[in-house]
Amino acid sequence: MQHSEALDRTFFALSDPTRRSILERLARGPATIGELAEPFGLTLNGLKKHVGILETVDLVITEKVGRARECRLGPAQLEDATSWIDGYRRVWERRLDRFGAYVEERR
Amino acid sequence: MTDELRLARVIDAPPDVVFEAFTSKGGQEAFYGTDDPGWIVRSECDLRVGGLWTVTFGPSPDHLYHHRGVFEIVDRPRRLVLATTEHRPDRPSFDFSVEFTFEDQDGRTVMTVIQSGFPTAELRDEHRRGVPNALARLERAIRASE
Repeated sequence: MQHSEALDRTFFALSDPTRRSILERLARGPATIGELAEPFGLTLNGLKKHVGILETVDLVITEKVGRARECRLGPAQLEDATSWIDGYRRVWERRLDRFGAYVEERR
Repeated sequence: MTDELRLARVIDAPPDVVFEAFTSKGGQEAFYGTDDPGWIVRSECDLRVGGLWTVTFGPSPDHLYHHRGVFEIVDRPRRLVLATTEHRPDRPSFDFSVEFTFEDQDGRTVMTVIQSGFPTAELRDEHRRGVPNALARLERAIRASE
């Protein structure tokens, strides 16, 4: 239940094209609120609102750096590193299977 | 997340047969092969501690992966441990350790592969670059559910 609520909030956060664009921008590296606001033609406050929504679901984290607030991708990865390892797992499974079949066919 | 990958398969042959096959050219080509037409596999194996096992595999000559492994343990016919570097055509190479064990189970073999030492932080960064694709997929899923 809790998980599903979190997912609902994540989906809500992602349902807005500006917020998805912010994530795409941050996927290339951290940026300040000001740097993010400019290309979207948003006011700082408008952008902060979007970032706040992304922040509540851990898609973005922010940190005060000097006078600016820097944003970066948060720990809530859409696909976390385990999916990369899952891909590797499938590769090794296929290799083991092919090799096992090769040995068994030769017997 | 875990940074160790462990898989096993029961093979209907005793460990010495499986071990010999695995360290033979034919067995390695089966291991790294696929059913895709044109798939390339080349394997060279110097089975001794400090010896090199190099495997080149991939769908075409201009898209090849290379595994370069150095044998750290050769315990015939029970166990092999290699320090391996994987070179990939489109992404940075990385190092990992891989262990193969061959355990007797009533005349059959439980063959286990344990891969460890994923460069977690680098892969996570690499993965982040995949975020835009994930977003596009998610967007399609959201649209489909509306």
